[in-house]
Amino acid sequence: MIIQRISRIISNYEMIMPLFAGAVTVLFVVAIFSLPLPYYEEQLYPKTFDPASPLNPYDRGGPPFTQVEIKDQYPENSPTAGYVTTYLTPFSWYLANTTLYLGTTIVAHPGGILDEILYNTRGLDTVVEPTILFIAFAIASYLYRKG
Amino acid sequence: MDSLGGTPYYILEFGDELVYFSPYTVSLFLLALVFTLFAVIAKPERQVDIAFGGDAYYAKETSLQELKFRRFMAIACGFASMGAMVTGDVFNFTLFISLVGICNVGIVAAVKNRHVQNAAYQYGIVALAATVPLFGAAATIAATTGTLSMVELWSNATPAVPPVVKALLVLGVMGEGMAPFYAAKAEMFRAPGAPYVIMCSLSSLLIFLRVIEVVLVI
Repeated sequence: MIIQRISRIISNYEMIMPLFAGAVTVLFVVAIFSLPLPYYEEQLYPKTFDPASPLNPYDRGGPPFTQVEIKDQYPENSPTAGYVTTYLTPFSWYLANTTLYLGTTIVAHPGGILDEILYNTRGLDTVVEPTILFIAFAIASYLYRKG
Repeated sequence: MDSLGGTPYYILEFGDELVYFSPYTVSLFLLALVFTLFAVIAKPERQVDIAFGGDAYYAKETSLQELKFRRFMAIACGFASMGAMVTGDVFNFTLFISLVGICNVGIVAAVKNRHVQNAAYQYGIVALAATVPLFGAAATIAATTGTLSMVELWSNATPAVPPVVKALLVLGVMGEGMAPFYAAKAEMFRAPGAPYVIMCSLSSLLIFLRVIEVVLVI
């Protein structure tokens, strides 16, 4: 009887979303109670902050326009990582030398540090992510146009 | 190097495009490829309604625009499944899974029918919500082990992935792969969605099979 009642409830597909949300919540509570998870120190982007640097908090160390040491996800697969403009455009470098606030704008213009590191080390991600966006736009525009 | 899916024939390493072909992943890849080819050559099913009380029936036509859109979504879903089957990088795996999820939304949503679109809307919300545990799991794997490469994760050189993180990954994939349930509830398997709606079931089945392998090897 109870199984009948449960199956009658979940046969309504509008009930799946609350059930799924409940499962996610329960699992997140379990995850919070299992904290702290062990943290692996050798991370891809080491967190060393230098508050005096004009590039703070994006300063990864090393002088621009020469090769800098960056940590790759797969170092053996990206032998040329670190060569490509060393992550600053000339304009960025000018701004960095004249103001103290480049760290607040650096992701918002071409050649931002984060973008270039991303393209070098996680190239396929940057292809698949826009693909997801394009598919979403295709669905939205199709649904909108057919009225 | 022994893994659950058998010894890999070939490991392609190019940037972060870490791809490995083991007997298990190759069989899943071929399955996705064959069904994508079916979606390319298939023609849409025509729904036949019988007029009650008479000797008449009429066939519903699928417009060319709708046919193109649904075929495009089915093929994109096939490519996304193929990528998810052979990738050896946890973050790329989660990205391909969410691409499969959004293509399934497109396959379901393309049918001009009110209750089908309600189902697609509900499924879209579940697929959206599922990205939180999915990408959360990938991020936590990177934080606790320092790598996203499945090849390194199964080599036992890295710390073990906590079980709760594996559970988050499985729950995320479950949410993304829930499309067949909605398609079945909206009675799409008979005529309105056929034959492209097959890609929904197939891609969900494939990502479930693959996430079992991923969870067991990492």
